[in-house]
Amino acid sequence: MTAPVLTVEKLVKRFPAGRSGLFVNAVNSVDLSIAPGETLGMVGESGSGKSTIGRAILRLTEPTEGKITFDGRDITRIPDREIRPLRRDMQMVFQDPWSALNPRMRIGDLIAETMKLHLDLSKTERENRTVRLAERVHLRPEYLRRYSSDLSGGQLQRVCIARAIATNPKLIVLDEPTSSLDLSVRAEILDLLAEIREQSRAAMLFISHDLGTVRLISDRIVVLYLGAVVETAPGEALFADPAHPYSQSLLSAHLPADPEAKLSRHLLVGEIPSPINLPSGCTFHTRCPVAIGACRNEVPGAERIGDAEHYANCLRIAEGGNRIKPTEAA
Amino acid sequence: MAETVGDEFKRDRAAARPFSLKNRFIGIARVSPTLASGVIIILAFGFMAVFAHWLMPHDPVSAYPERVLKPPSAEHWFGTDGNGMDVFSRVIYGAKFGFGIAIPAVILAVAIGVPVGLVAGYRGGLLDEVLMRFFDGLRVFPSIILALAVVAATGQSLLNVVLVLGFLDSPVFARVVRSEVLSLRSSVFVESAKAAGNPTWRILFIHLLPNAIQGATAQAAVRAAWAVRISATLAFLGVGIQAPTPEWGAMIRQGAEFMVTGQWWVGIFPGIALIFLVFGLNLFGDGLQDLMDPRRRAVN
Amino acid sequence: MSLLEVENLRTHFISRDIDNQIRVAEALNDVSFTLEAGKVLGFVGETGAGKSLTAQSICGLLRPPAKVICGRVTFDGHDLTAMPADDLNALRGAEIAMVVQNPRTSLDPLTRIVDQLVRIHQAHAGGPLAASRTRAMEMMEAVGIPDPKNRANAWPHELSGGMAQRVLIAMALMNNPKLLIADEPTTGLDVTVQAQILDLLKHLTERFGMAMIIITHDLGIVAHYSDEIAVMFAGTIVEAGPVSEVFEAPGHPYTRSLIAATPERLKVGGGAKLGGQPPDLYNLPSGCALRTRCVFASDVCATPPPRTRVGPDHDVNCHFAGDLPS
Ligand SMILES: Nc1ncnc2c1ncn2[C@@H]1O[C@H](COP(=O)(O)OP(=O)(O)O)[C@@H](O)[C@H]1O
Ligand SMILES: Nc1ncnc2c1ncn2[C@@H]1O[C@H](COP(=O)(O)OP(=O)(O)O)[C@@H](O)[C@H]1O
Ligand SMILES: [Mg+2]
Ligand SMILES: [Mg+2]
Repeated sequence: MTAPVLTVEKLVKRFPAGRSGLFVNAVNSVDLSIAPGETLGMVGESGSGKSTIGRAILRLTEPTEGKITFDGRDITRIPDREIRPLRRDMQMVFQDPWSALNPRMRIGDLIAETMKLHLDLSKTERENRTVRLAERVHLRPEYLRRYSSDLSGGQLQRVCIARAIATNPKLIVLDEPTSSLDLSVRAEILDLLAEIREQSRAAMLFISHDLGTVRLISDRIVVLYLGAVVETAPGEALFADPAHPYSQSLLSAHLPADPEAKLSRHLLVGEIPSPINLPSGCTFHTRCPVAIGACRNEVPGAERIGDAEHYANCLRIAEGGNRIKPTEAA
Repeated sequence: MAETVGDEFKRDRAAARPFSLKNRFIGIARVSPTLASGVIIILAFGFMAVFAHWLMPHDPVSAYPERVLKPPSAEHWFGTDGNGMDVFSRVIYGAKFGFGIAIPAVILAVAIGVPVGLVAGYRGGLLDEVLMRFFDGLRVFPSIILALAVVAATGQSLLNVVLVLGFLDSPVFARVVRSEVLSLRSSVFVESAKAAGNPTWRILFIHLLPNAIQGATAQAAVRAAWAVRISATLAFLGVGIQAPTPEWGAMIRQGAEFMVTGQWWVGIFPGIALIFLVFGLNLFGDGLQDLMDPRRRAVN
Repeated sequence: MSLLEVENLRTHFISRDIDNQIRVAEALNDVSFTLEAGKVLGFVGETGAGKSLTAQSICGLLRPPAKVICGRVTFDGHDLTAMPADDLNALRGAEIAMVVQNPRTSLDPLTRIVDQLVRIHQAHAGGPLAASRTRAMEMMEAVGIPDPKNRANAWPHELSGGMAQRVLIAMALMNNPKLLIADEPTTGLDVTVQAQILDLLKHLTERFGMAMIIITHDLGIVAHYSDEIAVMFAGTIVEAGPVSEVFEAPGHPYTRSLIAATPERLKVGGGAKLGGQPPDLYNLPSGCALRTRCVFASDVCATPPPRTRVGPDHDVNCHFAGDLPS
């Protein structure tokens, strides 16, 4: 097996919560790794720490604890000055393309910016490459002279993607790249990402709160709850056999666009607890329909399920009590 | 690809309507009469300042001892002053001083204030605290007194007046830019610029500056009005520009003496000119934001 | 007679640009639909299709430069377009209630939630304060707010997004409306919370016999929570009919592309998709607004597409309705 592009070990991120001396426990001891060319999907509800993990990996926010190894190098604590040249190899695409682009820069300059910063190219060479990049993301060259306000959301996201792939990075973090786009535009962007993955073999971390979207593009999926990984599985395995009770309820809450599809609901009680005051033991026990006494005290480790690379962090897996009984929906 | 179709309509529309200055002006006047009035007044004074030599019927600084303190007449529309100089020509010439002081003073204020606001807003922390406290100190002090003291101390030249006004006015721009930067620095496009690998100076000057400057442009007009007013006040108090230089403040000062004896025209006409220019600049500054309000564009 | 009848509703934004040219954005063009009492109608379409604007036009909530150019809205026998503003205000909040997308911004931050519920009841129904308070408690209970006695005195900022949305729904229900318009009631909420809110809305319509218009861009919501569907594109309803009919046999190319783009059906890398930019409302193409993006388009599409009935209560606005290749 080839060495992973990225490994994250025991990543912790706490934000100070106001002046109270309390902390928001945004990320709690997360481990993950991404192999070259692999697309890792990351799902979880809002506030589960997805963006914070993505930003910590790219050192856009300082990790509190843990270790991040990128391309064989420990980048957890290296100074900003040394990070900047590394950005050539790790890029990011943001959720909201309307606000992710400088409104005062021309599209062409925005696409060329990463090349200008990292590659030693002549001006004409850079311009040629910009045109070629625009073609690669299916953007007509005349848009290169326009500003972001002239483009639609889908076109803007193409620009963001062009920016991210311009320096042939080894890793691209995509933080909900399709969440604010309309269905048909979303479909086009997913097509484009799949195409780019084929051509460039860049590893991707694809963050989304929408299981359906993640499934379409990911090789492997991690499910987050309150800043911790609860399940890791190859895409299809997760959908066929979600092991963690949280994954089961997340899957069951999804509404397929088919009126005939039967909904089997195991809805959770209550809402996500505050990350300032994390529940003890398994953080999911406050809402878990199959929780037992031990779940209050014991932090579950990763249990392997079947023989695929499928792991879930639940105490009840060993004795098979992790399945929620489905109830028919209204 | 699919993105390509549908565009022909946009281009048709753009091509169908060539730019027309007249339509643009009427358009602005309908959306914001305030802005349009400001533009007219500023343009009128600008015209006076640029073409003063063609517009003045007399030399503004030639004294005619035999015509001292003559009331308005066909020969001297605004009468003559205590030295027998033509008030009308002097009022026109005075526009040169109005702009000549206000424009460089505002440019200087922007040149100092904007970078300070940018850095303070982006960096935050102690640097921000210190810079902003210092600038606040400048601001709470009555500027006219400070200006008086500094100009009196450094020597009475036009250049000193400009330097002092520019410096005193820079906190305003620092504030405006700083507060813009404060809200922009956590915006996604700044983070995206950082993620792309931009060094700090590029984030400040390429990404933040062009987006933070808009509030400052509306301020510039208002602050130019302030500079015109303060420079005239300085001259009125006898500091900075001295009579018989045809500067409005200095003219008002001279005119004030004659007001009591009934020769009102010496001070009134430069006073009116001053009020109009200050008013026009303020209208312009206030009117700019009307353009942003979609409800002003509604047609019933 | 239907509860709500909308006929040829046309809402445009008429404004003057900075070059003194009058510009018209044709945001709604001949929107027509009917809604029977007690039924749930789902409006779907891409952002900017005019879904919210339809709701605002019905309720008389338009602000300049938006203007209803023509059309009729009949609600429970009253012609809303001809109604004086005061009467319409009285009707809104009482007979027609609205729940909007951002629950937090729609609550008054300086008033305790129970007082907001009481206020809306007093404004329309009047009566003794104590009765309004009792009703407020009942409604909080009905929308599943746990421990309503204590929660009643909470401030809006103390509520989570899901709770705030429940409070808004309780507010909408205070006066027993005949019609509830829910404009993206769960956008921005998490899927598990979304499921709770939608189940609640569905349950409430049945319990109180309300009709509901649910506006969303999520086909999954419409598929499971509404009886009828109206698909909007560029300010027109391009297809309308019973949910099962429309999902079974979508007759409009746009509806087809929407359904094909849902995660269940989507094949990444699976060939041509109907993407592209939303049409420019200031410059709509003649005839069918979709024709610049539609793979089936031909010359005839430059003329307005007829409304064609393709099944029971199932209408499609397309020249090729019924004979598109599958
Ligand atoms: N800069 C910050 N300061 C304080 N809290 C933060 C900050 N960024 C994120 N958080 C908190 O961290 C948690 C995780 O947030 P985030 O990573 O954005 O979640 P997600 O992307 O999954 O929605 C949330 O509770 C959020 O409020
Ligand atoms: N002030 C305005 N001037 C011109 N067009 C506007 C204005 N406000 C909204 N619109 C347009 O009205 C259309 C309808 O918007 P809306 O009903 O909110 O769409 P939806 O709810 O379907 O996303 C949009 O295309 C929008 O661009
Ligand atoms: Mg996020
Ligand atoms: Mg809307």
